[in-house]
Amino acid sequence: MLKLIKKEMRLCLHPTVFIFLSFAVLVFVPSYPYEVIFFFSCLSVFFSCMMTRENGDISFTCTLPVNKEQIPLAKMFVVFGLQCIIMLSVGIMGAIKGAFFPIEQYFNYSGISANLVLVGNGAILLGIFNLVFFPRYFKKPDKIGVPFVTSVIVIFLLIGVFIVLRWVTPLYSTTLNGINSENTGAKLVALAIGIVIYAVLSVVSCKLSMRHFQKVDL
Amino acid sequence: MNALEVNGLTKVYPEFTLDKASFCVPQEHIVGLIGRNGAGKSTTIKGILRLINAEGSVSVFGKDFLKEEMAVKQMIGYVGGGFRYYPMNTLTAIRKAYAPFYPTWNQSRYEKFLSQFELIESKKVKELSEGMKVKFALALALSHGAKLLIMDEPTSGLDPLSREEFCDIILQLVREEGVSVLFSTHITSDLMRIADDIVYISQGKILAACPLKELLNKYKLAQFATLEDATAAKAIGVKSVKDGFEGLLCDNIHGLKNVTIFEATIDSIMVHLEKANKERIYAETD
Repeated sequence: MLKLIKKEMRLCLHPTVFIFLSFAVLVFVPSYPYEVIFFFSCLSVFFSCMMTRENGDISFTCTLPVNKEQIPLAKMFVVFGLQCIIMLSVGIMGAIKGAFFPIEQYFNYSGISANLVLVGNGAILLGIFNLVFFPRYFKKPDKIGVPFVTSVIVIFLLIGVFIVLRWVTPLYSTTLNGINSENTGAKLVALAIGIVIYAVLSVVSCKLSMRHFQKVDL
Repeated sequence: MNALEVNGLTKVYPEFTLDKASFCVPQEHIVGLIGRNGAGKSTTIKGILRLINAEGSVSVFGKDFLKEEMAVKQMIGYVGGGFRYYPMNTLTAIRKAYAPFYPTWNQSRYEKFLSQFELIESKKVKELSEGMKVKFALALALSHGAKLLIMDEPTSGLDPLSREEFCDIILQLVREEGVSVLFSTHITSDLMRIADDIVYISQGKILAACPLKELLNKYKLAQFATLEDATAAKAIGVKSVKDGFEGLLCDNIHGLKNVTIFEATIDSIMVHLEKANKERIYAETD
């Protein structure tokens, strides 16, 4: 598995993957729906899948001495790694913003502040993306557009839901909003819930993807 | 023990069926898989390598492919019509990703092949000619000690000189390294030069699997003045040609009149067997 992951990182990662990772700095932009940062992570997966197809990577990998079911798993593990990096980066950037910026600049008029809850929301978004995109993609690895568009529609609907929640529910607009040092316990719970949802959805996505890929004719 | 044994390989698509393909590749033999475009050559090779979900059994040097997939894949070198993968990557990057999968990878042997094939590792795949791509695929396959080479139309798109060079390399590999080879092609002149055995596939069915010489001796090419003469002689796959009619004769050439007999070539055997097969299918559907 480690060899496959190394091969993925050497040959299949699109350069934009690293550019989009740096988009965590968007938390410094005032009044911006920060959940969109996680969409860029999804976009980099799309580019990498395009690159995989143009390189004939899946056919090449299937001729290597590996089990067929390991191929989607390796690709998804790499993506999970990148998703963890973007979540961590957003968390760190948000903490830096909270530590060094005045509180009035920390307050976000377009959505939730760049705090731990944002990372939890991002985890839910990425978990949903994994569940919607990968099983469809590994059913027909040559058809990337439909799985991606489907998953992006779901992602943006969910971003809309998070923005609405921030304005219409006191839980989101006061308790879970604002700097991390306020209501820290509640924010940590929201973060933990997000991470658990991400983990569960990603595991389900892995199992479905492996099952679908076994039936693929290359 | 055969290098490769294929038994009852079957794959059903809505518009095409690979129908119980069975044949073998003896050790240190070069076996040509021939057939027209769309006959099922690539499907057969994909079925052998389990790139598609096909029924039937495949064993390599006595090991069942499904039961011992890892061990079997270590023994196989696959060359899929040149090297069509990772056009933007350098050969070095591909080798670095490829080699760790093979514990038997021999770097000095790889470098020897690079030197012999005049390949420059710093080049990108897209910068290689078609002939060089085939050589790179061969270098990768042979450097992990593959004992069975499976190649899908490796000479397609190569000029005559490159094809000649490719055939020389394959012959050398069989004689000096003891590898066994299965390669699909529709360029029959390559087979005449190097193949020991022929597997002839038409519309998903294996029509012949035998030594090349046996196939060539089995048939004679006959030219007839009239269609009645050809029919009377029970010629196979009769078709109109410039000077009359032409068909294959099989073990029935004695006592025939008004007929000119030639030695059959793979091309002529393919053409007439295809025609006979098509006529049989039309007759069955009518």
